Amino acid sequence: MEQILFGIGITAMAGALATVAGAAEDTESDIGSQGDPNSQVQLAPQMGYIHRIFNKAVAGEPPAYGLWVALGAGIAWAFMAMQINAILAIVIGSALAVFVQGVYATTAYLGRTASLAKFGQPVYIDIIKSVTTVTMAHAFVAIFTTVAMCHLMNAALGHPFPLPLLGLVWGIALGAAGSATGNPFYGKERQYQEQKFGAGVPISASGNIVRYAEAGQRSSIDNGWFTTKLGGPASGVCFGLIVFFELWRTVVFEELNVWAPIIVGVVIILVFMVIDRYIEVWARKNFGPYTTETEEAAA
Amino acid sequence: MTVKVEVGAGGIPHNQILIYGLVGSLVLIYLTYLNVIFDTTVFSFLGGLGAVAALVWGTDTIKHLCSYGLGTGVPSAGMIALGSGVVAMLLATTTGILAPIVALIVSAIVGAIAGFLANKVVRMDIPVMIMSLTELAIVGALTLLGFAVMVGGTFDFLGLAVGTTTFLGFTVESYAASVIGGSIVAVLFMLGAIAIQHSFNACLGPGEQQDRTLMLAAECGFLSMIVISVMSFAFIGFIPAVISLVVSVAGWYYTYAKYIELSKRDAYAWLDAKPILEPKGGA
Repeated sequence: MEQILFGIGITAMAGALATVAGAAEDTESDIGSQGDPNSQVQLAPQMGYIHRIFNKAVAGEPPAYGLWVALGAGIAWAFMAMQINAILAIVIGSALAVFVQGVYATTAYLGRTASLAKFGQPVYIDIIKSVTTVTMAHAFVAIFTTVAMCHLMNAALGHPFPLPLLGLVWGIALGAAGSATGNPFYGKERQYQEQKFGAGVPISASGNIVRYAEAGQRSSIDNGWFTTKLGGPASGVCFGLIVFFELWRTVVFEELNVWAPIIVGVVIILVFMVIDRYIEVWARKNFGPYTTETEEAAA
Repeated sequence: MTVKVEVGAGGIPHNQILIYGLVGSLVLIYLTYLNVIFDTTVFSFLGGLGAVAALVWGTDTIKHLCSYGLGTGVPSAGMIALGSGVVAMLLATTTGILAPIVALIVSAIVGAIAGFLANKVVRMDIPVMIMSLTELAIVGALTLLGFAVMVGGTFDFLGLAVGTTTFLGFTVESYAASVIGGSIVAVLFMLGAIAIQHSFNACLGPGEQQDRTLMLAAECGFLSMIVISVMSFAFIGFIPAVISLVVSVAGWYYTYAKYIELSKRDAYAWLDAKPILEPKGGA
């Protein structure tokens, strides 16, 4: 019984860390315009809409976060193997991973923007100076919390995978949660505030993203501020629930039977399918129908 | 993403880069055998340099392959390269001194099969698919092998799979404290996979220039080397790891500065804290 209580405590803490990680990850990717909203940022200058939005095209979010978190975990593992305190090792690992992330972000912006010279899109060097550090700060929070969560699973719950492999698996899961949950809020809501609500994204509006602010020009940091309100927390809850349910079903039901956690996992998926379907129907009823011509295929 | 991929014309022919990348990478990885001959680990950094050579070649291959309009396929190409490569690389490490050659042959077979399946079964029908996936698999295997030598000091399976750990003051051999047992290979996999696809993914567009893209490929390789040299402190001695770190930081700084210079050359304008320049005639 004590073992289960201890396990549930660790599970709750891992879930809390994951929630913070998800929120930070989504905010980071929205500030950098990573993932699917990136295609509009890339497309805008080609349609004549010159902008001052960061263009951080480093693969999709799942592979990119797979690297950042695996790297943070790998360096932390190496330092722990050298008998360095776990917390210090995780901090150093996350800091070095963030350094790599920051360099990748700057090279992506420079490369993409320089290749758009034909359309008159200049490189705004102040964007790199001001925005990169903000994405790096958010990435640090996301990486640190995820690596700490993996360390808890490994050290406290006795997960058989070594830390770097757990980092890879959960990093990809983190990127996928943020990409699937938070990105629509930035990509469909923020970038198209000039379109009528519910109009979808017709081809004629492609690339016509929000570029000007109430006063002056929109910067990517404004986008982060906007998406922190709903997109970030939603991603956080998503990733937190994934981690919590994943650990909870194993910690609580493993005692009964080895197959019990798997059955509980299937039941949880079914319950969430019912909830998702209900929300979809409810939203469609309340926010109008979506018809085929306004429904933009998610790129 | 649904962006149309366009590539710049001209530059060094692909076959020339293929030869330089393949030979350079093989020779550099073989030079790390000096570690065994002199019973040291100071030559480990040569493995990383071999991986950089392979990455530059792989980037040009991806550019070649993705000029057939594979927009979202750019990051996937990096994943399949390293995915095919890791199988060949792990198998090859069991063959001792033949490892780099065996990695090359096995990965070429794996890549050719993957290319055949993509073209004939999935029916993608891209003319350069089989050749490109073969090249990418070799690049993946050589990159991983180079990085593994850099972090572990050897390309021998036992050297990579058995580490040492201190237990109650005694040094004991442990599987869990090794490059493979500690899953450092997973980190190397991601470092290689992101590095191989990033340069073309970041530079694609109508203004893409080969020298800029390849400079970025080298930059990504050296950046990966920096963090690998930090991890290598746990496996190889202090002095060899410091040598690796110094070489990678120097290489990274040079290529990064050069890349920024090339971006400045190709950019429409290089502005600091200036407003949006609306095109003449309006949007």
